[in-house]
Amino acid sequence: MKNIFLLIVCSIFIVSCGTMTQTKLDAYPAMYDQRQPVSILVIPAINKSTAAEATDYFNVTITEPLSNTGYYTMPVEIVRDIFLKEGIVDSAIVKGMPASVFKKNFGADAVLFVTINSWDKNYAIIAANVTVSLDYVLLSTTTNEVIWSYSSTVVLDTAGQSSGFIVADLISTAINTAVADYVPLAKQANYQAFVGLPHGKYSLRHGQDGQDTILTELKDSALAEE
Amino acid sequence: MINLYKKKSALIAALVIFIAGCATPNTGYYWENYSGTLYNYKKNPDDKTMDKHMAMLQKIINKNESKGARVPPGIHAELGYLFAKKGEKALAAAQFQKEMTVYPESKNFIERIYKMLELGGDN
Repeated sequence: MKNIFLLIVCSIFIVSCGTMTQTKLDAYPAMYDQRQPVSILVIPAINKSTAAEATDYFNVTITEPLSNTGYYTMPVEIVRDIFLKEGIVDSAIVKGMPASVFKKNFGADAVLFVTINSWDKNYAIIAANVTVSLDYVLLSTTTNEVIWSYSSTVVLDTAGQSSGFIVADLISTAINTAVADYVPLAKQANYQAFVGLPHGKYSLRHGQDGQDTILTELKDSALAEE
Repeated sequence: MINLYKKKSALIAALVIFIAGCATPNTGYYWENYSGTLYNYKKNPDDKTMDKHMAMLQKIINKNESKGARVPPGIHAELGYLFAKKGEKALAAAQFQKEMTVYPESKNFIERIYKMLELGGDN
């Protein structure tokens, strides 16, 4: 397990060349004043990747990490059913609506949009992985502004650890890729996304993580300064 | 060189944050295999997968209550929703009520669920 975590961290690092460190407070000031939400409505993921199945992987695994960060999270499956009943089959339509709609109808303080830009499976002899590109945008339903966002490309490893025997590994990889359980991988990606999210009301760290440093994308202004 | 040092400390910081993030959640919730049974139910929705997911939700409730932790957000609501789908209105209402007791901010959401289910009720 430790190896997997290390690999994930390294892969984040590799794709994070255009990044810098910042405190959470500096990066997301709105999350440290009255604009910070208590309840979040997660809009079913918008899938722009070629893998249709990726949507479900993300929808079933997002509630756990988001709730663990201290927010009241509305179950995505129920939200999806409500949308369907209202004739909304595509989350992309929701993106065009004013966020205040969700305050009025659901009592949500914020809405979270997740876009899966790519979900690419790569197969090799002794390893297999999935390259996932994701965008998360959290909108305040009161002010309609973006109060937190996250964007990344991560490489998630699906293969088990090497047994030391190539043949066994070959078989193992073949089995892994055939029946690979992508649910834990999507959960990992969701967990990583919320590492930089300031803790909410139900977390013991609520209001205490402002000085935690996170890696954020190098902003255009920062580039100009160099 | 300074740049390299910065990157290295950034990596360590990320590692520390990440490891910290993997420890017991700061909310104290126990999720058991929530996403696993939910995925199976979603993938093959039938009585068997539905019952398994409902049993998982009940297990999560029992576990958190026995450990003195708050039941995670949405668990009571989801169990209530599935009870409603099975026509168990009283059991559904009891779960919805619990969700609102544990999380008062869920009131509007629960009302919205009632509206969708066209149950009416006291909400």
